[in-house]
Amino acid sequence: MADAEENQASLTTNATDKDAAKICVLLNATGNVPIIKKRTWTVDPNKTVSWIQKFIHKYLKLDATEQIFLYVNQTFAPAPDQIIKNLYDCHGTNGKLVLYYCKNQAWG
Amino acid sequence: MAHDREVLRMIWEGQIGICFQADRDEIVGIKPEPFYLMVSRLSYLPLVTDKVRKYFTRYIAAEHQDGAVWFDYNGIPLRLHYPTGVLYDLLHPEEDCTPWGLTIHFSKFPEETLVKMNSKELLESHYMSCLKEADVLKHRGLVISAMQKKDHNQLWLGLINDKFDQFWAVNRRLMEPYGDQESFKNIPVRLYNDDDFTYTQKLISPISESGQKKSLADLMAELSTPERKAVGFRTHGIDLHEETQVQWMSEHLSYPDNFLHLSVDYKDV
Repeated sequence: MADAEENQASLTTNATDKDAAKICVLLNATGNVPIIKKRTWTVDPNKTVSWIQKFIHKYLKLDATEQIFLYVNQTFAPAPDQIIKNLYDCHGTNGKLVLYYCKNQAWG
Repeated sequence: MAHDREVLRMIWEGQIGICFQADRDEIVGIKPEPFYLMVSRLSYLPLVTDKVRKYFTRYIAAEHQDGAVWFDYNGIPLRLHYPTGVLYDLLHPEEDCTPWGLTIHFSKFPEETLVKMNSKELLESHYMSCLKEADVLKHRGLVISAMQKKDHNQLWLGLINDKFDQFWAVNRRLMEPYGDQESFKNIPVRLYNDDDFTYTQKLISPISESGQKKSLADLMAELSTPERKAVGFRTHGIDLHEETQVQWMSEHLSYPDNFLHLSVDYKDV
């Protein structure tokens, strides 16, 4: 658990906009990807999709050759440079942004 | 929906004149002449620059010839997955009628700022994701998910081959309100207010609280804060009239990715 807390710290530092409220992101594994036990994370609103992909990649200690795909609500893959705030404002439900991650294209 | 077919046609036919130059540091031997090309505002640079790439390859050092191609304008790297018209309008708030001078690069891809979307396959999957997201906003995703793979292909092929009828035969289904509704659930829109290419996306209903169809003036009020007021909108190089209905704009002025891409002018209060 100490490990998870450490990672949460890394998720919430380096805020570009310190006053902006953090966004609650729910990470769901899909397909044959390892599961991250802690599913709910708070993320700075201006972080990008590719930043989350890199975080998951690092957290799961994947090979450099493996790729993480992210989907919003099991429907579409957001662009790597899309920011979390835009996704949350349009597709957030019950105060959370629900993201699905996998190692292969799922709902491509 | 699209009774104003003339508008759709005019938007489709919008073009930008571009003058491509080589990157001086990549050239071996004689300096090539610039390459001039008219490109569609609605397309994407990687889809329309095969000829440009081929032309400059002859002048480029052999080790760079297969490199990931990218472009810059006055040192600003251009996002390969934004429609060309969006890039142009953000960098050219005033129409100056001269060709747009871009530099083509074959090396030193700026991984920090640009998403690597230089293959047609990557761009196609990005495009389909935009359509899906737009349909989630308009119709809860019900229209696009009811389509077949061949319909998706037809949209993409219509766009890359510049076939208006082929594209709109499918796109009209995406651009109609669902069932007996009079308008979309929400309007897929990206709002730009700077030339740094970042945008804001939020839920914008086409209907006001009083049940009326929203106009741009309503949208201006919605986007204004006590600190700054939204005072104008542009898209496709056109200043938009504030009486224009937001639903009509979505149906007629959206890019092929089904999003409205609006530059917003703000004034400090």
